[in-house]
Amino acid sequence: MEPQTINYIGEHLLPGKVGNFFVFLSFVAAIVAFISYVFSSSPKADHSWKIIARSAFRIHSFSVLGIMGTLFYMLLNHYFEYQYVWEHSSKDMPSIYMLSCFWEGQEGSFLLWTIWHAVLGNILMHKSKDWEPHVMTILSVVQVFLASMLLGVFVFDYKIGSNPFMLLREHPDFSNLPFVKMPTYLQKLDGRGLNPLLRNYWMIIHPPTLFLGFASTVIPFTYAIASLWRKQYYEWIKPAIPWTIFGVMILGTGILMGGAWAYEALSFGGFWAWDPVENASLVPWLLFVGALHLMLIYQNKNEKSFLAILFTLGAFILVLYSTFLTRSGVLGSASVHAFTDLGMNGQLLIYLLSFIFLSVFLLSGDKMAKIVYASLSAICFLLAAFIGYKNIFLVSFAVISALTLLYGFAKYFYVKDEEDAIWSREFWMFIGSLVLLISTFHITFETSKPIFNKLFATNYASAQIQDYNKVESAIAVILALLIAVTQFFKYKNSSIQEIGKKLIVSFLLATGLSIAIAYLLDLFIINYFLLLITSLFCIFANADYLIRILKGNVQHAGASLAHIGFGFILLGVLISMSKQKIISQNTSAVDVGNFGKEYKNRENILMQINDTLKMGDYLVTYRGKEKEGVNFFYNIDYLTKNIDGKIEKQFTLRPIVQTNPRMGNVAEPATKHFLQKDVYTHITWAEIGEPEQETDKFDNDSSYILAINDTAIVANRYFITISNLVKEVDKKKYNLQSNDLAVGAAVTIVDADKQVYHLFPIYVIRDNYAFSIADESKELGLKLSFQKIIPEQSKIVIQALSKNVKNKEFIIMKAIVFPGINLLWSGAFIFILGCLIALRKRIKMMS
Amino acid sequence: MKKTHIIGILVIAVAIAIIIVSISDSSTYETFTTALNHPDKEFHVVGKLDKEKEMAYNPEQDANLFSFYMTDEKGVEKKVIFNGAKPQDFEKSEQIVIIGKANGDGFAASKILMKCPSKYTNNKQGELKEFTESK
Repeated sequence: MEPQTINYIGEHLLPGKVGNFFVFLSFVAAIVAFISYVFSSSPKADHSWKIIARSAFRIHSFSVLGIMGTLFYMLLNHYFEYQYVWEHSSKDMPSIYMLSCFWEGQEGSFLLWTIWHAVLGNILMHKSKDWEPHVMTILSVVQVFLASMLLGVFVFDYKIGSNPFMLLREHPDFSNLPFVKMPTYLQKLDGRGLNPLLRNYWMIIHPPTLFLGFASTVIPFTYAIASLWRKQYYEWIKPAIPWTIFGVMILGTGILMGGAWAYEALSFGGFWAWDPVENASLVPWLLFVGALHLMLIYQNKNEKSFLAILFTLGAFILVLYSTFLTRSGVLGSASVHAFTDLGMNGQLLIYLLSFIFLSVFLLSGDKMAKIVYASLSAICFLLAAFIGYKNIFLVSFAVISALTLLYGFAKYFYVKDEEDAIWSREFWMFIGSLVLLISTFHITFETSKPIFNKLFATNYASAQIQDYNKVESAIAVILALLIAVTQFFKYKNSSIQEIGKKLIVSFLLATGLSIAIAYLLDLFIINYFLLLITSLFCIFANADYLIRILKGNVQHAGASLAHIGFGFILLGVLISMSKQKIISQNTSAVDVGNFGKEYKNRENILMQINDTLKMGDYLVTYRGKEKEGVNFFYNIDYLTKNIDGKIEKQFTLRPIVQTNPRMGNVAEPATKHFLQKDVYTHITWAEIGEPEQETDKFDNDSSYILAINDTAIVANRYFITISNLVKEVDKKKYNLQSNDLAVGAAVTIVDADKQVYHLFPIYVIRDNYAFSIADESKELGLKLSFQKIIPEQSKIVIQALSKNVKNKEFIIMKAIVFPGINLLWSGAFIFILGCLIALRKRIKMMS
Repeated sequence: MKKTHIIGILVIAVAIAIIIVSISDSSTYETFTTALNHPDKEFHVVGKLDKEKEMAYNPEQDANLFSFYMTDEKGVEKKVIFNGAKPQDFEKSEQIVIIGKANGDGFAASKILMKCPSKYTNNKQGELKEFTESK
């Protein structure tokens, strides 16, 4: 039978074709650039190779921009016939969020990464001078890999890459569904939309910054590889330093932005939660900072350095490893915001292993070692591919690589006789880099536990926040101390007495201030106090260095400023984390925490509408909610008592619950910023939707047999007592006939607030039948009727109909005061400023 | 012995120390049975919410107490107490990971990770959400 062809209505197939053309072109152009750069690297190479290579790289860059442009065009025009557009956007979204949609998905974020590489590559092409053929060869290889991630073609049964221009109806998840068989399927289609967590401005600025940071690690990587290739183990450092400073600055900014995002818009209740995805961005930065310091040491010493190369290669490989961790789905049940698996597990792993192989291969030293290493690795891969037991061969590959590295180091880099003097700047910078390596190792080890579980069939869970804090705060103390003292050492050697004299002022100032702060904030806990004193020492010593040694010369102030900024960041982290105070808890004067875990002060509090509760220094009132679009805004007033006892409103916070029927509702906190503290408010739970209308229906029906003065509990909240039986009933009032026999029951009702109410249901006998006249209290939602008299027991039967209490609208909220958080943010600005100044100086030195 | 050697040995020693401490302090993914046999140790237990049984959350009485029944991967069902607000959309969870210790015949969770299905795609992984107990 002929396959049926359907003429779909309203599809736009041209952009997809254009997009696919660019995808293909970017891949091919990267390959051409790679090959021609290889040829141009030979000393006798014809100049035309370089011209071809440059043009190919430019065509590659142009096509990458073309892919981006096409994807944007499709997003902005809501072409939901494309799976990527359908999955990540919807019609109701403001177009500014199309940027977020663009990089929400894996394909988009790979694209973002590729674009930054292309941009940096075009700068590198013109700045790298005689290094160009080598560094651009490596960069082109990286681009071949990245461009292949977007191909989405099948080679044998294996899918390479995931294509953002795939049609929805051709996507394997949808191609069998009936709706895509309808020619008009597009008419009613709306996109799935952006995850509500990502609909805020952080999602617009954070990913591009972070990815530029990731991308910037590739340039020093290309230089390090090129140095091994050209056997110029020392000369690569000078041109790589400015790129490294740039990377440290941008990646650092990206990480801090991630923290700010988590703090402002997510419900972490803090800016850092040691989430695997956060760690994945921090770890390359730590190693990259270590690499920068090693480069500075060895540039000054005019020596080759194995470790500087290893750290630089490691930083980029950690970026790849992080990508693998967060994209492959291994983190599955460990991380809140890992990307979902697109079935590219294998491809990412190959990508990662290839670059590890390349690095180790070039570091292994002599030809013999290279041959042995290459053949052993090849055996591992072949066996893994054909026999299986992938984990065993993966571990073997790791061991072989480590041994080869050791061999290369011992044979080619180990310098026997020369050692740094203990009182030299390079020695302590070196120690600092090793401390950073240990920190990197610790965080990577914890984050990698899901990988170890896969490899060794174990079941370890990643560490909890407090475990990370324990180790990393100790490392922070050592780092802060090193940063404080190291600048005062001179290269080669210096006199320790002199250094002591120079440092004593800062040290005394730091100690004095620490004691004062610790006294004020009650911070006399050993690890807090150590971090306090060392981070202050770090700030004072570097400020002192800047003023006394550098005489305030701004041009050379980069390092000092960046270090001061780092000190402030540590200080801000310490104070805001250790002194954060959850004010939305037990408001009585008694600290119930002393009674044990069961009775501890807890952070979530229930607030009914118009309730006012004391929280910390504030009186807090919940004033009700307002609906704006998909968002519910909860108005929460913070009041204080002024001197004459009058209550004044200070500010209103409006935390949000964003409703999203498809993906679940998402709460977004609101924060009031003060100079010395932030007040953070978050809705933990709220009833969404309109309040129900009052009805005449009663929810509960129960009967009671009661004598006079008997009491019954109705609906768990009313005490009803028969106070008397009244035989004289006002017959006119109840429209009774003159010969009716009527008895009324005088019932007293007491509610939970001890309020007293009275109801008077009546029992009537007319001729030979009986009926009752019920009495109702609208206020209580209670209706009583006198059903029967049991004369032999002198008891009566009362039927009680009651309504469930209509809850007043309520929310459950959490309020936290973060003191000193502005120290953190100002530290971040000083750090960035310091990096910028250092970068400027290094660029000047280059030319 | 040279300084370089000492430093090298120190770095390796610290790395080994980190591995040992991390492994020995590490919580592991286990079943309810293991957790109940070691009431002092913290575990991660993966399972599914029993939607038939009662989920108790009365914010008027205690906004920080939520309990539910979970069946672990071996099919053992236990009551789980969580000192925190009930996670939004908890009923929709597909899989949950609870972190905590055994408590009598039940389990006291200090953290809940829940995975919600994404309705519109066949993603193997849904979205993951995290909830920490009140402190």
